[in-house]
Amino acid sequence: MKYLCLVYVEEKILHAMPQSERVVLSNESMAYCDGLQKQGQLIAASPLHPVETATTVRVRDGKTSTTDGPFAETKEQLGGYLLIDVRDLNDAVRIASKFPAAQFGSIEVRPLKELGCA
Amino acid sequence: MKFMLIVHHDEEAFSKIEKEKRQQLLAESIELTHQLHAAGQYLSASPLQPAATAVMVRVREGKPLVTDGPFIETREQIAGYFLVDAKDLKEAVRIATRVPGAHIGTVEVRPLIEITGLPNE
Repeated sequence: MKYLCLVYVEEKILHAMPQSERVVLSNESMAYCDGLQKQGQLIAASPLHPVETATTVRVRDGKTSTTDGPFAETKEQLGGYLLIDVRDLNDAVRIASKFPAAQFGSIEVRPLKELGCA
Repeated sequence: MKFMLIVHHDEEAFSKIEKEKRQQLLAESIELTHQLHAAGQYLSASPLQPAATAVMVRVREGKPLVTDGPFIETREQIAGYFLVDAKDLKEAVRIATRVPGAHIGTVEVRPLIEITGLPNE
């Protein structure tokens, strides 16, 4: 089964970290993803730019409206994602709990609909 | 540049749409992925199971804390995503306007931090 792991972290905490600590965190995250891929459990992963780069788009009656900023303002912000392929939710939770950002942020684990959404 | 288009919609309102119309929206979304693919703009896309299936994972002082999700309680919930490759934000927003979910819900467009060394390719 495929799961999307949405990684929420407080951007302020990240920005307050010394550069050397951020590099260690980034390296650990990449090494972890590398290990998951070697086991055939990772489909894709990436960090996202800060939420202030977000644009929110709606179309109503053919008219597009765009607003700056994320869909929802929250204390922790969506900072990246992992798309994984594992046996069940238990495995997905185990993988999420070992991702470095789980130690100071929150990871939402959501199963993909693999048979269509209707 | 790579962008994640996060599609939000009101699950309750969506579930009340006639099955036929929902199937049409799905067919339109799948058609869009093929159009994006043909244009070299497609990376990945998928709908997600309802927000009630979400699980939150946090680790504090080495202890995993697992609770029911989703992370954010909102009127509209994350319903799925598209990962696209676009020239710039303008093009990504143009793609977002073609996502059927943008017509009934909201699409958040977020640029990826493109780093090397990830096991994506």
